[in-house]
Amino acid sequence: MTSEKQTQYEPVSASPVKAFFVHMLTRDIRLEDAILDLLDNCVDGILRAKVTKGAKAEKSSKPYSGFWAEIKFDEHSFSIADNCGGIPWSLHKYAFRMGRTASHPVDAPGSVGAYGVGMKRAIFKLGTQSIITTKNGVDAYEVEVPGGWMEDEKNWEFPVEPAKIPMRYEGTSLVVASLHPWIADRFSVDREDFQSSLERMVATHYAFIIHKGFSVTVNKITVRPRSMKLLCTRKERSARNVSKEIQPFMFRTKTSDGIEVFLAVGFTRPIPSIDEIENEQDEKRYSSEDAGWTIICNDRAVVFCDRTELTGWGEAGVPRYHTQFIAISGIVEFKGEASKLPTTTTKRGVDASSALYLQVKNKMREGMRIFTDYTNKWKMRADESRKYLATGTLLTLDEIKIESENLKFNKTATSVPPGEQYKPMLPMPRRLEPRHRRISYVKTVQEVEIVSEHLFNERDVNPSEVGELCFDMFLKEARSH
Amino acid sequence: MRHPPYHLRLNKAVDRLTLIDAIKHIGRSEDLRAYTYYGMGGPTLEDFRLIYEFFPEIRMVCIEENEDTYKRQRFHLPCRSRRLKLERTAFSSFLAKYEAKDERSIFWLDYLDLQFTSFEEFMELLGKVGAKSVVKITLRCNPPDFLDPDTEKQLKKQEEFKKKFETVLPSAFTVPPIELKDLAQTVQEMLQIASQKALPSRVPTMFLPVSSFFYNDGTGMFTLTGVVCLRTSEAEIKSPFANWRFANLKWNAPIEINVPNLSTKERLHLQRHLPHGRNAGKILRRSLGYLIDRDQAQTESQLQQYADFHRYSPYFIKAIP
Repeated sequence: MTSEKQTQYEPVSASPVKAFFVHMLTRDIRLEDAILDLLDNCVDGILRAKVTKGAKAEKSSKPYSGFWAEIKFDEHSFSIADNCGGIPWSLHKYAFRMGRTASHPVDAPGSVGAYGVGMKRAIFKLGTQSIITTKNGVDAYEVEVPGGWMEDEKNWEFPVEPAKIPMRYEGTSLVVASLHPWIADRFSVDREDFQSSLERMVATHYAFIIHKGFSVTVNKITVRPRSMKLLCTRKERSARNVSKEIQPFMFRTKTSDGIEVFLAVGFTRPIPSIDEIENEQDEKRYSSEDAGWTIICNDRAVVFCDRTELTGWGEAGVPRYHTQFIAISGIVEFKGEASKLPTTTTKRGVDASSALYLQVKNKMREGMRIFTDYTNKWKMRADESRKYLATGTLLTLDEIKIESENLKFNKTATSVPPGEQYKPMLPMPRRLEPRHRRISYVKTVQEVEIVSEHLFNERDVNPSEVGELCFDMFLKEARSH
Repeated sequence: MRHPPYHLRLNKAVDRLTLIDAIKHIGRSEDLRAYTYYGMGGPTLEDFRLIYEFFPEIRMVCIEENEDTYKRQRFHLPCRSRRLKLERTAFSSFLAKYEAKDERSIFWLDYLDLQFTSFEEFMELLGKVGAKSVVKITLRCNPPDFLDPDTEKQLKKQEEFKKKFETVLPSAFTVPPIELKDLAQTVQEMLQIASQKALPSRVPTMFLPVSSFFYNDGTGMFTLTGVVCLRTSEAEIKSPFANWRFANLKWNAPIEINVPNLSTKERLHLQRHLPHGRNAGKILRRSLGYLIDRDQAQTESQLQQYADFHRYSPYFIKAIP
């Protein structure tokens, strides 16, 4: 009797395949976002350096003043250099690993890096070979991602050497050579489009940080911040008549795990007239709009001017976004420990399932309803409503926060999380039934042009002006009889 | 519907002939019988008349929305309607229906104003036309549109410009320049960005510029002509344009068209010195023996323009019908 050979069962390998791991990471992120990840690291470097050096808590309005990052790219290489403190050698076990271990030291307050993938993901998104040179205190070293590293499945280490060229300042320089061909094309064939798109993203997503003194250049062009602003009536102008002031809806809270939330939603401009709404529907007049929600996590915008269900449009009583709401804009700011912020791993999106975000979204919708309701009430009288909106001044989020100190916030114990809010008393039409009637009728273009020329000596006057003058003339005649 | 009279738009007439020249260059390596010309025509179908005159083998389609202009076009047909099809529709509707089906097209998007929709139509078209098609776009480029004696109103106009065109601006902080040549450069950069958005490096086709001009017949205008081609055939498309003096194959600064208003007698007199390369302005001024503009430098500059574009300058002569 022969015994069957017994299979020896061994433990199976679940170790990641480099190519899969790296390609998965890089596929889910846009090139511009990967570069913004590198900028995030620069700012996290500043915050870390301040903690290390025992700097007192910053009360300055320009805490990032004197710090800079320079981004350069062409068809051969990409580089980003900063003077943001460098990477301490004590962090080398964490900074260059893909992902974070539980033993990772606590981040400096205000950081956004939470997953430990940003820099590595950006490097592999851009190319196959890279060198990172950094100086921090007495440490000055360079880490190389050698060409061919991806092909060697067994080697997960990057060689390190003392820096060959000493850096003049404490900071980091990252150079990616051997760009992927499609990246080299983006940097050369599509250069003008990419440069303008990256500049715009830095200007919007980094607006707060640049306002606070940080300087960013893209191919030697200094990026200027493009901040979201809301109309607010300064308190001294409206002390006598609260019901005629234009203020945003505001909500603020601090969660039990230390996340500070500040939310403001209001108007960025006068509400559009019916003609403006109709014209915008016929042809798209603007390539961009300021309407929608901007979400900021630790000073960095992760969502910009969103007008979808992600930010509460078209949900729970809030109408879907439509051109008539072009004047409504909101800003939500989250501040606190990076791992508790409601961001996605790319840091350019909000985690829609985050419990904190879902709770705050209730407040976002509550605030939005006030302004969609106002818009609906006034839309037939947009011109009349302009006089109220004209009392407002466009203020940045920081300015709104200062201004909010003059306003009376009410506790919202029933809200989750509990906090306090300011609900503006927006001016409403005196009579809810319309005092005005809209007259609309259709005539042939030729006929409108004839009347236009007759009344204005020009054939292409806006048809509504032509119609209005016709009415006014007959009204005058009717009154005189 | 009123249209500016053609004889008052001398520079536009020159620009029309530069398109003819560009098509001639294409014709050196391509069979023009494979092409269809699509344009907006205007009431007298001036560009169609020229296309028919120079390239009778090219089929033509005119797109016009206004009924009376359409009727005037029917009245002015330069050839049999089998050769020139008049389509009464809005250009955006035409574009929605348009299918290239590997056909080669020559499009002239001849806009009178500067609107973001024009950039969108340009981008849409670039993604639709077949390889080796020609696309020309003309846009209003008039610095006074963005000026106002009231500083606040001027800032508002600049803000409006930024908001309108933000996604195609070279920088989020571009403001419309006050000089025509600088504004023309900005509009060209905006079109370059639009073309890169429409045909990014990862798609096999590209938009290759072949010429760009700006002019002012009372209103500043900018015009860009290019060829949509496979990236692999870029050199082949560039080749026939290599020696064309008006070629702009690398997005260089656009060329100004500003031909002087000369009498027929003056033109016939100057003809004997042309063509002339260097110092043409000086030579022509000496030949005339008097100034045609405010000083010697301006006169020479105007005459240099005439020397550059004399082959394209139309004669407007009174005729008895």
